[in-house]
Amino acid sequence: MNELLLQGLINGIILGMIYALIGLGLNVVFGVLRVVNFAHGEFIILGSYAAYFLQRLLGLSPFLAMPLIFASFGVLGYLMYFVLIRRLAKSDDPEHSSLLVMFGVSIALGALMLLFFEADSRSLAYSFDPPFLMFGSVIIPTTKLVALGVVLAITAVLAFFLYRTLPGKALRAITMNRDAVQIVGVDLEQLSAMTLGLGLGLAGVTGVLVAMIFPAFSPFIGQDYTLIGFIVIVLGGLGHPVGAIVGGIIFGLTEQTAQVYMNGSIASLMGFLLLIGVILVRPTGIFGREAMK
Amino acid sequence: MLRVEGLIKQFGGLRALDGLEFELPERSILGVLGMNGSGKTTMLNCINGLYHATEGSITLNGNDLIGLNPAQVFRRGVGRTFQVPRVFSQMTLWENLAVPLLSIKMTRRDKDALRTKWLKKVELYDLRHNFAEELSGGQQKLLELARIMVSEPRLVLLDEPFAGVNPSLARLLINVIREMPKETGCSVILVSHDLTSIYELSDDIIVMHEGRLLAHGDAEAVKSNPDVIEAYLGA
Repeated sequence: MNELLLQGLINGIILGMIYALIGLGLNVVFGVLRVVNFAHGEFIILGSYAAYFLQRLLGLSPFLAMPLIFASFGVLGYLMYFVLIRRLAKSDDPEHSSLLVMFGVSIALGALMLLFFEADSRSLAYSFDPPFLMFGSVIIPTTKLVALGVVLAITAVLAFFLYRTLPGKALRAITMNRDAVQIVGVDLEQLSAMTLGLGLGLAGVTGVLVAMIFPAFSPFIGQDYTLIGFIVIVLGGLGHPVGAIVGGIIFGLTEQTAQVYMNGSIASLMGFLLLIGVILVRPTGIFGREAMK
Repeated sequence: MLRVEGLIKQFGGLRALDGLEFELPERSILGVLGMNGSGKTTMLNCINGLYHATEGSITLNGNDLIGLNPAQVFRRGVGRTFQVPRVFSQMTLWENLAVPLLSIKMTRRDKDALRTKWLKKVELYDLRHNFAEELSGGQQKLLELARIMVSEPRLVLLDEPFAGVNPSLARLLINVIREMPKETGCSVILVSHDLTSIYELSDDIIVMHEGRLLAHGDAEAVKSNPDVIEAYLGA
C-alpha cells in the first residue's frame, strides 16, 4: 500500500476517534434530553483553556488535569440543567428551542473567553520523549497515539457505564422511550441533569485532548468543533452512541486520506461532501432510526 | 383502596372529566367502558400523574396522588400500560424488566426471580434475550404488562390491553389479568372497548360518558341500565 495513504489512514483513525468523542458528548445529551447543544465546541475550548491554566499556574500535567476538568465540567453541566435546560426539555419542541438557547450560550461563552483569555492563540506545552514513533515507514506523533489510547479508554468506560450499570441502562431507556421511563419510576430530572453533566464532562476532556494534539486553540474555534460534532452524529445517526464512533472514524478517514491526494482546502471539503451524500442516501445516518427534522 | 372524588380535568374550554367519583377496593378489577372521547384515558392519565387534575382528589390507601409526577406515582405502587405499548425497543426483554426495578431496593437474586416469574407468566421467558422490537404488537403488550408487574404494584391501570391482539394472546392476557389480584393483592382498572373481556374479568364496571359517570355496577346492572343502552350500547 502507498505509504502516504497508510499514513493518512492511521491519522484518519486517530483524529476520527477524537471526532467521535466530540460526537459522543453531543449524542448522549441529545439522546436523553432532546437538547441540541450548540455550545459543545465552546465547552471543548473551555476545557483546553482549563488544561492550559492548570498547567501554567499549578504545573499540572494534562493527564492529571483530565479527571479534574471532567468532574468540574460535570458539576457545571448538572447545575446548568436546572438553571437553563429544565424548562426547555418540557417544551413542545425542545430540539428547536434548545438549539436557539444553546446558540446564545455558544456566543456568550465565546465572548467571555475572548474577554478573559484574549484573542491570542495558545498552545499546551506538552511533549513526550520520543516525540515520534516509527512503525516501518509510518511516523506517528507519540501525543496522538497517547490521545488515541485515552479516547479508547473513555469510550470503553462510557460503554460499560451505558450497557452495564443501572444509571446507564436508565439513560438508554430514556433515549428509547421517555414517557415509558417515567411510568416505571425512573427519576427523569436527576438523570437528565446527570446526562448534561456527562456531556459537558466529555466536552472538557475532549478539550484537553484537542489542546494536546492540535497546534493551537483560541476563543474563535469552538464552532468548528461543534460543526464537526454535528457532522459526526449526522453520519452515524442522531442519538446513537455507537453511531458517533463510526461517524467520527468515517469523517476522520475521509478527511485525512483526501489530504494525501488533494490540497488541504479541497480535502476538508470531502468530509462535507460525504455528509451531503449520506443525507441524500440515508437521512437517518448509519445507525439512526428516525428521520431527522 | 383507590378513592377518586370530584375529579375534574379541564383542557382550555373542554372539560374532559367532570366530577368523576368512584372507589376501587383491594384485590378487585374495575372495568371501564365508554365511547371514544368519554374521558377513560384522561382518567388513567390523571391517576398516574401524566396529567395534573384541575380539581378533585385521588387517594390510594389514604395516600394523596394529586400533584405527583408519574415516577412518584409509580413509587407509591401504581403501574400503567398504554394502548400502544411503550417498550424499550432496543433492549432485551430481560433488560426491559430491569428498568422498573432500578428504583426498588431488593437483592439482585430477588429481582431476577421476579423477572423470571413474570416473563414465564406471559410466556416470553424463552425470548428473554431477544430485543423488544422483535416482538409482535401483542407480545409487546404482554411484555409491558410483565414490566409493570415485576414492581409488585398495588394498583394496575390497563389501557386497551386487548386492542390489536390476536385471539390466542388475548386469551393469555385475560388469564394473566384475572389471576393478578388473587396472586399479588393488586387492584386493576381495565379500560377496554372489548365488552366480552370486560364482562368476563370485572368485579365492577363503570360506564363513562362525556367525562361523567353514566352507570356503575356489576355486569348485569350495567347491561340493563337504560342510560347505558341508549348512550353506549345503542340497542
